[in-house]
Amino acid sequence: MSNRVVNVLAAASVAGLMFTLFGMSAGTAGAADPAEQVKDRQQTMKKLGGGMGAVAKFVKNEGATAEDAAKGAEAVLAVSKMDPKKIFPEGTAVGVADSAAKPELWKSWAETQKYWSAVQPAAEKLDAAIKTGDRAQIAQALGATSKTCGSCHEDFRVKKN
Amino acid sequence: MRRVLTAVAMLLPLAFAGGSARAAGDVPAGDAAKDAVGRGAYIFNAAGCLGCHTDEKGGGQPLAGGRALATPFGTFYTPNITADPVNGIGRWSDADFIRAVREGVRPDGAALFPAFPYASYTRMTDRDLLDLKAYLLSLPAASTANKPHDLSPPFSWRFLVPVWQWMYLTPGPVADDPARPPAWNRGRYLVDALGHCAECHSPRTQLGGLDADRYLAGNPQGPDNDKVPGITGSKAKGKGIGDWSDGDLSLFLEAGLTPDGDVAGGAMGEVVRNTTSKLTAEDRAAIVAYLRTVPAKE
Repeated sequence: MSNRVVNVLAAASVAGLMFTLFGMSAGTAGAADPAEQVKDRQQTMKKLGGGMGAVAKFVKNEGATAEDAAKGAEAVLAVSKMDPKKIFPEGTAVGVADSAAKPELWKSWAETQKYWSAVQPAAEKLDAAIKTGDRAQIAQALGATSKTCGSCHEDFRVKKN
Repeated sequence: MRRVLTAVAMLLPLAFAGGSARAAGDVPAGDAAKDAVGRGAYIFNAAGCLGCHTDEKGGGQPLAGGRALATPFGTFYTPNITADPVNGIGRWSDADFIRAVREGVRPDGAALFPAFPYASYTRMTDRDLLDLKAYLLSLPAASTANKPHDLSPPFSWRFLVPVWQWMYLTPGPVADDPARPPAWNRGRYLVDALGHCAECHSPRTQLGGLDADRYLAGNPQGPDNDKVPGITGSKAKGKGIGDWSDGDLSLFLEAGLTPDGDVAGGAMGEVVRNTTSKLTAEDRAAIVAYLRTVPAKE
């Protein structure tokens, strides 16, 4: 092996090492830990699901009061107003912790945004329906809201085992 | 009048395309035909034809086929079932259609692979089958050519399919059980014949037949290699729906919402979207009534 080749190799490995070190420190100093971000997302989805579940319980007449339902709808509405970029930061696809988000969610980001932005108007209608107290109307609005969740789950969520 | 205009407008492109395609206008006139198409539309939703026969992701025309179904036996590409006379079912007689759906045999005599769930559809009544055909032929034709399946031997050997049929297909409708209420019988028909729920929710044998002993007990290797939960009376999570209330089940079928507020995705999300959300409330209740009686399997 000529000296020149050895030098080039050495330079390359030093550069690689520095890049790795730098990259790692930048990773920890900069954005949040992806595993934490996945956990955050799961919490957000739990809040959303809890809200939907409360309204559903009211609709099914299974022990939830009108007040529970109103609180549930508020939670759904609050989550729907969040920025999808914050909920789905890059680098949190399946493989990171127990993430269930398919990489296609980011590849088809326009679609994702479209799906996400459909939730809020549905949640607003759900909120309004609950204020009327009419169970049939609430059931319908709940179904419509659920549909907006389902479109994203159908396309971008990995089946949970 | 507007209806007539719409119908004419829909036929125009076909007329220009050569007029050979069979379309809405070919259905015999009169109320009986219209009723058949209307009833057929409901059967079509209840049987979930649209999802598998449409390459939605690839932007394919409705029912023009081409959707990939990944299974442990290889990848199937669903065929065109529009009214197109060459690539679709436009030239099929009523008897052809009934034989294909009930016995898994094409008009040319070749056996159909059981990825087409005829082992379930075989229970459909003549009337439902003919209504379904009337509806399919009332929709726009697409000339999309069929894509060959991508299977590995021995599963690609079509001549073996009749053996499979002999083992796993019991042709023909099943008589109602007079000891059970009408809602239960209707529910069983919706679950077993039209909804073909067992095709995904039951495990398969190594030869790809439904494992009758594990009816609706869940499938560890479902379509697209997804794990499909059981829907028997078991109370264990993922094994059954024993701890779901009737309201939970109805709401799930209507809106995809689970008791914990989650919303179904994946294949079941599609089933809710295309099928169960489009059923009448009575039919959803019938499904629940029937599922309640499916013995628990752990």
